[in-house]
Amino acid sequence: MGVEYKVNRLRATGNIRPLVDKHWGDLRAAKERGEKVAWASGPSFMFPYSMGMKCHFMAGYASYAGGIGAADELLRLAETTGDLPETCSYHRLHMGLVEAIKKGVPIKEQAILPLPDLLIAGRYCTEQSHYSESFYRRMGLRIAPLELPFVFNKEDRPRIREFVYRQIVENVIPNLEDVCEKPFDYDRLSEILSVLKKTATLRNECWKFLATKPATWTLWDYAVSMAPVIYMMGDPAGIPFYEDLLKELKERHEKGIPALAPEGEKYRIYWDGWIPWAFLGKFMRKFTPHGAVCLCGRYPWEMFPHPELIDPEHPLDTVVDWVYGEETGLACHMAPKGSIEMIGELIEEYSIDGLVMFSSKSCRMWNQSHLDQIDALDKKYGIPGVVIEADMIDPEMVQDSQIDTRLQALFETIDGRRRR
Amino acid sequence: MEEIMKGFVKYTSDPYSAIEEWKEKNQKKVIGIFPMWLPEEIAHAAGMLPVVMWRSNEAITWGYAHVPPYNCPMNKSVVDDAVKGKLKFMDGMVFLRECLQSQEVPFIIENNMPPAFEEYLYMPPIYHASNADLEFTRGELERLRKSLGEFGGEEITDEKLNESIRIYNKNRSLLRRLYDIRRKKPGIMPARDILKVVWSSMLMLKEDHNKLLEALISRLENNGYEPVKGKKVFLSGCLCIHPQVELLDMIEDLGMIPVDDDIYVGYRYFANDAEITDDPIGALTERHFIKTPVDPARGEVEVNWGKELVDKVKRLNADGIVTLMTKYCPPHLCYYPDVKTVLADAGIPEVLVEIEHEIISYEGVKTRLQSFKEMLGGV
Repeated sequence: MGVEYKVNRLRATGNIRPLVDKHWGDLRAAKERGEKVAWASGPSFMFPYSMGMKCHFMAGYASYAGGIGAADELLRLAETTGDLPETCSYHRLHMGLVEAIKKGVPIKEQAILPLPDLLIAGRYCTEQSHYSESFYRRMGLRIAPLELPFVFNKEDRPRIREFVYRQIVENVIPNLEDVCEKPFDYDRLSEILSVLKKTATLRNECWKFLATKPATWTLWDYAVSMAPVIYMMGDPAGIPFYEDLLKELKERHEKGIPALAPEGEKYRIYWDGWIPWAFLGKFMRKFTPHGAVCLCGRYPWEMFPHPELIDPEHPLDTVVDWVYGEETGLACHMAPKGSIEMIGELIEEYSIDGLVMFSSKSCRMWNQSHLDQIDALDKKYGIPGVVIEADMIDPEMVQDSQIDTRLQALFETIDGRRRR
Repeated sequence: MEEIMKGFVKYTSDPYSAIEEWKEKNQKKVIGIFPMWLPEEIAHAAGMLPVVMWRSNEAITWGYAHVPPYNCPMNKSVVDDAVKGKLKFMDGMVFLRECLQSQEVPFIIENNMPPAFEEYLYMPPIYHASNADLEFTRGELERLRKSLGEFGGEEITDEKLNESIRIYNKNRSLLRRLYDIRRKKPGIMPARDILKVVWSSMLMLKEDHNKLLEALISRLENNGYEPVKGKKVFLSGCLCIHPQVELLDMIEDLGMIPVDDDIYVGYRYFANDAEITDDPIGALTERHFIKTPVDPARGEVEVNWGKELVDKVKRLNADGIVTLMTKYCPPHLCYYPDVKTVLADAGIPEVLVEIEHEIISYEGVKTRLQSFKEMLGGV
């Protein structure tokens, strides 16, 4: 008989749900309180927050809707009004939401959001701007565009940084000032960043327990804990959440309690691509019986990986340098060439045995390069990898058997290499 | 007429051999330009042959070792051609950030078949065309001018660039004239021939194409015209790639006559000139920000594609629209429902046909088009 692996669930991550429920609940009730509302895509939500606005974050809302089981009805609603199933599921989800609002279709109450006074079309991925454009066409909502390119060649970074900085100063901030009828609040942005610095510093301490052997927690635990460093940015409630999480991880480590019972993981896995928000339990159940844990990934490592570089005294530079700074190189890492460097660092830091490239069938941001990335990384680090095909929130795009077969193949390849 | 068409068809039936033969004969460099926004004029001014990269003429095989099947046909095909070594005649390639998929292609090309020259341009969406957008775009185009000049060993002066713009403007103007003739004399040429005329413009030296076009237009203007019966349809969409000619034949065989389009290998390609000024890079920058024909990839919000189509259909007195959607094309996928709604509100019949690279069920498409024709009514 083989080892029967089981997940040791964390207590602290159970505290996140009330926090995110409150966050989205506050947004839902904002208009009733007479507050201004923005919707943002890409890394731009901190600007409306600085103006005291409540703000939706496209990917954050999609993950929340997926997590609370509201995605399916919104996706199908979008398809009834003309969206084709291969359209980005986050886009479809939002189109479903607007149809629900327009036509008064009853949907899960927690998924309903107020329409915004301003859309910030952060074109980090191009679909993020297309969804804003659709809203403009359907509801006539005001748009502040913000082009946020991935940096294909490192030497391009300085001029793109300057371009992004200019757009924020010339397009985004004036739009916010106009909508809110007051000057942009740089002090508030500094305060938000001060809170974020503390939160992300604690989060980085927690990351260290993903590097332990055996691992003390998993990528899935971190995924559900990400909100305080993303769309809850600046909310002080994130600090005690991460303090509590860190405390629990330390205790676990001291007592020798691994993420996987009874004796820790057999395979340490890198996960590339989005988090399958609506299917976290399903994916956990696919890895656990094999003794496999996912520990790190390019996307979950995107959110302020270097809190030491957060400088509240220079808030605008800090925000731009998060993505386009020389030290972080984040915009380079999001592009396929630069990703090799970042994934390589994660492979070494987290002692990775294998790569799982999560290829979203409806989001083509990264999936085109996955096979070449696996090839390049295998040559450099001797780590095998597989591509699995699914979606973040659309159940119709998740077929279990191909995922199971490919994961099985990965684990057998790792075993084979270990025997050499 | 047949003789003139041969000049175009030589390039569209086997672009690989035709371009290679041209290169051999003229001893000039060939630069592959990724569709849809990059100004070929800059490569032309460098004394090179710019060719717009195309969807290939064979099934994708090796390409699937690099790109998943649920990606756009343009990318799958270009990668497949590249890894098979079919694009070796291209001395250089220019890519751009246009959509999610286009921004990843050069990585695979670099890994497997790096060209001698490669440039990547971060062309922004157009939206409100702020100073930041305009100046950044200008910088990108200047960068291309500089790097192509260095690659060619000769500076691309404003004079050279203006001369190329003049030649390209002439080509665009001739193609627009061809389309005018088709609008006035529906069915004067089969849609497949019109497509080949436009597509060959993307593959040939513009000066040669201009000569052929002048001869063709003269023949069309002077020859007699026998009116063709059928329902007039407008072809819309088909971003980046050319549709299968068999599909165009099918539309015509079913009694519909394409009278105009906004497809990429069509009106979209030659719609807008660049001005001749003492600042040619500035003129090319300005052209990037022209809002029509509406391009769903470009972030346009002030002009509505659906309304634009309604106006065109009314002006042409067309009976309906055949939407050709490049499969897995996010910009078109995201815009399509809104176009459909506007057309439905305006009472304009429309049918959707998806364009894949190879797996296209003609029988299924035929049924759909037949039903559409019946909706439009008898001939």
